[in-house]
Amino acid sequence: MRADLAIIADWIKPGSSILDMGCGDGTLLKFFRDNSEVDGIGLEIDAQKIERCVLDRISVIQADLNDGLEQYFSDNSFDYVVMGQTLQAMDRADILVEEMLRVGKQGIITFPNMAYWKGRLQLGIHGIMPVTRSLPNHWFNTPNIHLCTLRDFEALCKEKNINILERTVVDHTHSKSTLLMRLLPNIFGEIAIYRFCRNGVQINS
Amino acid sequence: MHVIRYTTLGIKHWLAVIGGSLGGMQVMQWSIDYPDSIKHAIVIAASPKLTAQNIAFNEVARQSIMSDPDFNHGHYLEKNTIPRRGLMLARMLGHITYLSDDSMREKFGRELREGKLNFGFDVDFQVASYLRYQGHAFVERFDANTYLLMTKTLDYFDPARDHGDDLATAMSSATAKFMVISFTSDWRFSPQRSREIVKALIKTKKQVSYVEIEAQHGHNAFLMPIPHYMNVFHNYMQNVGRDIK
Repeated sequence: MRADLAIIADWIKPGSSILDMGCGDGTLLKFFRDNSEVDGIGLEIDAQKIERCVLDRISVIQADLNDGLEQYFSDNSFDYVVMGQTLQAMDRADILVEEMLRVGKQGIITFPNMAYWKGRLQLGIHGIMPVTRSLPNHWFNTPNIHLCTLRDFEALCKEKNINILERTVVDHTHSKSTLLMRLLPNIFGEIAIYRFCRNGVQINS
Repeated sequence: MHVIRYTTLGIKHWLAVIGGSLGGMQVMQWSIDYPDSIKHAIVIAASPKLTAQNIAFNEVARQSIMSDPDFNHGHYLEKNTIPRRGLMLARMLGHITYLSDDSMREKFGRELREGKLNFGFDVDFQVASYLRYQGHAFVERFDANTYLLMTKTLDYFDPARDHGDDLATAMSSATAKFMVISFTSDWRFSPQRSREIVKALIKTKKQVSYVEIEAQHGHNAFLMPIPHYMNVFHNYMQNVGRDIK
């Protein structure tokens, strides 16, 4: 399983319900179904990935996240709403983060950190748009239209009155953080993972 | 009709109940009425209830049948007549609503049947010829009173009505797993209506999957072998099949 997905799986309590936004072929939901009593449903836009989910008995809804969640989900429908490496490709990342907390009690997001040192080096020294393992596309063909850094995301949370419950960073090869990553996450973290809730919402953990 | 079949066939448990259009609505109704008897409910190109526009189309179809002099207040068989003209008109109207603007354009465009305009009221355009053919063929295989009853059944279908107009409450008794399928160009039973079904099912914690098939054939798409549609259906049915064992 992808490193960020393994950490998400670790954060989610057994017996809870989750919505996986951009569930792909259903890897995370399948893991939950097979390993803990987590009841999940996925949202996906790609026809082939949906066919895969259906074959694997994953509940999946074919939807474009850019259309919002209003037409499928009432308020407080899930314990967790997860979005793995999808935020940066959305039309309005800010609105979607709010939607996550309307539909679920907690949100979990992972995204590539634009301030990762390799990216800084490419942009700062070489003066070119970063191309890294977590950001493999070129500027002209990237689906990632709203890239951000750890600092940017945390500023957005503050502005939206969102409480960050947990944060970790990983790179593509290791699922555990190194000391450098823990000390300077916005430089050495390649992928950021956040768990958050609405300020004032009681979370037992 | 189907309830009779349900009891007379003596089958108590249904592994899967599958239906498109009115059939999809029957699947919904069954899943509500016989909650413990259905394991999988597959609802295709359906709607939780008809819109005013939809009822309006049905009303025109019924009026065209009933205003045919050969209708004889429904007793046409006793009088040895068939309301052909009315039934044909009803089918022609219906058929237009089952196709999409794009599919009609692609299939017929403004193509002329004889390559020239005849400046008369006979068939000039291919689309007119096609509709007339569809209408004629329909009369041979469909009964007028049945058409009236079936369109009325569609109009009346509204499981939420007895539950304070809340579809989620209406569906709450169902225990089946649901697969809901809609088609992008279907404007008679649009994806929007299917999403309402999905929302209600999710709200009541049902297991549900939903796919919106990219198709340009309008409502008729549910009868077409569209690859994504076939694959999703095939994959789902494979799992249904495994549930037997």
